Amino acid sequence: MGSPLETPQPLVLHERPLVKLGRVALDAVSGVRALVSLFLRTLWFTFRGSRPKGATALQAFEIGNRSAPFLALTMAFIGMILVYQSAVQLGRIVPDYSMVGANYAELLVRELGPTIGGLMLATRVGAGMAAETASMVVTEQVDALRLCAADPVDFLVVPRFLASLVMTVVVIVLCSGLAYATGALTALVAFDVRLDVFVNLSLVDFGDVATGLTKSLAYGAAIPICSCHCGLAAEGGSAGVGRATTAAVVLSSLAIIVINFFISASAFLVGL
Amino acid sequence: MIRLDSLGVRLVDRRRGDRRWVLKDVSLCVPTGCIYGLVGPGAAGKSVLLKTVVGLLEVEEGLVALDAIDVGQAAPLELELLRRRIGMAFQNNALFDDLTVADNIAFPLRRLFSPSDDEVREKVKERLDCVTLSGFQDRMPAGLSGGQKKRVAFARATITRPPFLILDEPAAGLDPVSSQRLFDLIKRDVTASGSTCLAVSSDLDRLLPICDRVGVLVNGQLLFDGTVAEARNAADPRVYQFINGLPDGPL
Repeated sequence: MGSPLETPQPLVLHERPLVKLGRVALDAVSGVRALVSLFLRTLWFTFRGSRPKGATALQAFEIGNRSAPFLALTMAFIGMILVYQSAVQLGRIVPDYSMVGANYAELLVRELGPTIGGLMLATRVGAGMAAETASMVVTEQVDALRLCAADPVDFLVVPRFLASLVMTVVVIVLCSGLAYATGALTALVAFDVRLDVFVNLSLVDFGDVATGLTKSLAYGAAIPICSCHCGLAAEGGSAGVGRATTAAVVLSSLAIIVINFFISASAFLVGL
Repeated sequence: MIRLDSLGVRLVDRRRGDRRWVLKDVSLCVPTGCIYGLVGPGAAGKSVLLKTVVGLLEVEEGLVALDAIDVGQAAPLELELLRRRIGMAFQNNALFDDLTVADNIAFPLRRLFSPSDDEVREKVKERLDCVTLSGFQDRMPAGLSGGQKKRVAFARATITRPPFLILDEPAAGLDPVSSQRLFDLIKRDVTASGSTCLAVSSDLDRLLPICDRVGVLVNGQLLFDGTVAEARNAADPRVYQFINGLPDGPL
């Protein structure tokens, strides 16, 4: 065994670029593996766990009710900006605004509602989840759970996962409706587009609704998994909590963009 | 009995990106019913040792055994059964923020033994009386003082009357009076229950008088294992300096 404790090696500050690249690649692979593992364990405990009653409802309130005002305000303004900008651009080519509402509805249902809503939720809900779980890690509450045969995934991740799955879809649907309404008002006030002309769902088909709902559901699953993964990996006091929170927002946002790409591509390939 | 045989534990050093030995070649034995005080300077590996004993950290080398059960080799179910026999008070108290004092204390009981509500209420009341916090059952941890949190953590660790009691800095940050009261309580409670207790504390003046044996851990190595009287006259200058609290010396 040699000497009980080795003499500390000097800290290597400058790695060769290839070594650094290799390290980053290995870290990325192990990170993805850890995320997949957490997701599978979450699914397992969703059906087999013994978490406390009411935990999911509490998280649903936190994710849904508490996020709704922030998300509603954001989506309302985004709705106004988008309709205004689209109409301005359209007016330069053909001064006919009759299809602005129809195109906006399709874009909102398929892409903007879920993705902007998902990104907003990732910042608010993701940061909260990561900070909460990371605090529990650094204050040894997670160790205390494990010592009482309570799996942290069952107790901390599953309630957030289930609540997020439901409430993300609900909040995104409601806030997309609000974005449509503020868009309609903007079209009326700024471009004299009557409401009965603007409200036109002729371009929204089953494929748009299915794609939008699938995205919302996928974001609802990705946000708690990414955030809790960062939170549970935290170490080192309040600085560790801060790092976990930042990492959770970055990872959740990145996951939303990547998932968006794959769902959009899949929908295109299957003709939706 | 708690037995450690040539224990080695490595943890990831995030700054350097590799795994470093935090404990190496640590051997000690805590006989049944004994209060063993583990002391040492900061970052010596004391908390790591406690977490390894209860199976929260992986045993890299050597053996950790609680009675006849090898913690490092125990299957998940065996580890779960073993944890029913362990009570632990953590350095940071680890009280669950969203649970009341009563629910915090009852948590291990409910999780590990599924008792009736009446039994839970009765045992929680008995523990609250014992730590002189009667009437605090509906308070939240955020509304408690440091000393009260420590006492709730001790009550939670002992509610199942575990044969093995692990205490990590049970009186850290407390004033001398509260600290003395807590150590007196530990001594009384452990003697009454006959538990085997492994306690880490920096408050030597209060810990050593209640200990049957003491170990001195420095830089991941156990430099001394013996009685308190032997420790006070230890031949190793580092042990002598630390136990006697001398400012000058090799440490």
